[in-house]
Amino acid sequence: MSTERRTHYGLGDIEIGETGKKIGFYIAISLLVLISFFPIIWMFITSLKPPTEAVRFPVTYIPETITLQNYRTALEQRPFGRYLFNSFVVASGTAIIDVFLGALAGYALSRLRFRFKLPVLLIILFSAMLPFISRLIPLFRLARELMLLNDYLGLILPYAAFQLPFAVWIMQAYFKELPDSIEEAGLMDGLTRLGVLFRIILPISAPAMATAAIIVFIYAWNEFLFALTFMTEEQMKTITVGIALYGGQYSFPWGTISAAVVMSVIPLLLFMLIFQRKVVEGLTAGFGKA
Amino acid sequence: MAERSRDASGAGIASGLESRLRRYRDLRLTEEELATLLLMPVLLFLGVVSFYPIVDTVWASLQDGYIIGTSAEFVGPENYEALFDDGRFWNALGVSFIYTFVSVPIELGIGLGLALLLNRKFHGKYLAQAAILFPWALPTVINAEIWSWLFHGQFGVINDMLVRVGLLETAYPILAKPDIALAAMISVTIWKTSSFMALILLAGLTGIPEHLYEAARMDGASNWRQLRDITLPLLKPTILVALIFRTLPAIQAFGLPYGLTNGGPAEATTTIVLFTHSITFNNLEFGVGSASATAITVIGLALSLFYVATLYEPEVR
Repeated sequence: MSTERRTHYGLGDIEIGETGKKIGFYIAISLLVLISFFPIIWMFITSLKPPTEAVRFPVTYIPETITLQNYRTALEQRPFGRYLFNSFVVASGTAIIDVFLGALAGYALSRLRFRFKLPVLLIILFSAMLPFISRLIPLFRLARELMLLNDYLGLILPYAAFQLPFAVWIMQAYFKELPDSIEEAGLMDGLTRLGVLFRIILPISAPAMATAAIIVFIYAWNEFLFALTFMTEEQMKTITVGIALYGGQYSFPWGTISAAVVMSVIPLLLFMLIFQRKVVEGLTAGFGKA
Repeated sequence: MAERSRDASGAGIASGLESRLRRYRDLRLTEEELATLLLMPVLLFLGVVSFYPIVDTVWASLQDGYIIGTSAEFVGPENYEALFDDGRFWNALGVSFIYTFVSVPIELGIGLGLALLLNRKFHGKYLAQAAILFPWALPTVINAEIWSWLFHGQFGVINDMLVRVGLLETAYPILAKPDIALAAMISVTIWKTSSFMALILLAGLTGIPEHLYEAARMDGASNWRQLRDITLPLLKPTILVALIFRTLPAIQAFGLPYGLTNGGPAEATTTIVLFTHSITFNNLEFGVGSASATAITVIGLALSLFYVATLYEPEVR
């Protein structure tokens, strides 16, 4: 099993032949995955128990009675579907705005020569460092004056501004890698620079746009502070705020809460599964070269 | 957009070329003009939604009744005096600092370990990464609800496990004890974000050229020395980014204390943003709330500057 040869464990290549180490590695990974999923697995187990079994100690790891009652209650008690829909609209709107504006700015910052390039880049990145709470109160007042409270745009616009620096960064990092010959060819063909951007650069940038869109979408889907403050009408609440409301003032119906949590996590799980590669790439884009 | 179809066919080359040239001249922008055109919407947007509010918050912190709109009155440093006299402000600041400076270094350590573990080719790498990233992708406040059930004082599964392994004799109200509640909250955030840290560091690791390790091994350097003399120094810029990326959200923690403990018990988990939000929107003290928010801005920027100043060094490669 173990050879005398020294491998620098964890620092790059692994000796493929060493079955033991390989098994150990996969056990470690499985353990990590289990730790990552245990809380949601536990919510799932709780959601299947009748109320009396959910509040029992010592706990039962395999439900003695299985019921779907909690799911029915969760769906009947609050407009769960509506919450999901609201989150979807807000997150998609945010992603669309950020991808579009991020592409425009990213193109200018990566492929055009102009004065003040560095200051502009720094201003955009700097805006990402400003605390959200300091933007909340004025934006709340602004949204109220513009009648944007309890309106999708009231959340989409702030979210888009908050995540725009990230979108710009992703897009400019991608554009930077494209060969110069693309523009030259386009200009030779008689396109304007704007034409080159919209006809050639943007279409071939779909992968980077998707990456940016996915990360921005997850952010907007998860945001809580603004969602809690701006959406006060039941029909306009997003899923994160909606879930937080299942717990009552004095009582916590844990069966119902866990059913709601499980249902709210399913779209996210599917999303992560479908876009696993994009999510990983999106988060690490630019960091290696940072 | 003026230009329509680019007919590359042979028919009417001459007239096609001519009209193309005309269109090109009509819409010809210099690079500088085009850059301005493209960046303007972005800068305007950020100006209104990101920069104006910061300034306005500072302005509001010097006023009384500003948000109500009717009787705004300039009061100078009064709101700040009220804020600094309030013991809850200092308590919340302390909570946020402990929360941040305990959780972020631990996340960095665990993240580095995870990154070293994942830094190799194996089957299902993306799937494994996405699975480990799942806690990060969970909405913070939903995650907080989940853990408040896991930690439940009477029926929580964590209590059950601790009893089963013999660490506890009976269920213990973890989140109801001031000294343990914060530790519990910190462990939840470590669980949630270590994988994110790992992913950023992994991106940095992939950028370190393999031949450096080969050379080090030829010189007989131990694994530890390779880590200390090659990996960590070359990873420094990535570590800087990772620290900024985690410290700023940590100092702004809101959803986690809101959903896990609602700041309790006895404000033991009331972070600075939870405090600010509560005095602003529950007590409607907009002036003091704005003063508190401004303090957070100053702290956040100071921390970023501190990181950049200590860790940044000009490209050495």
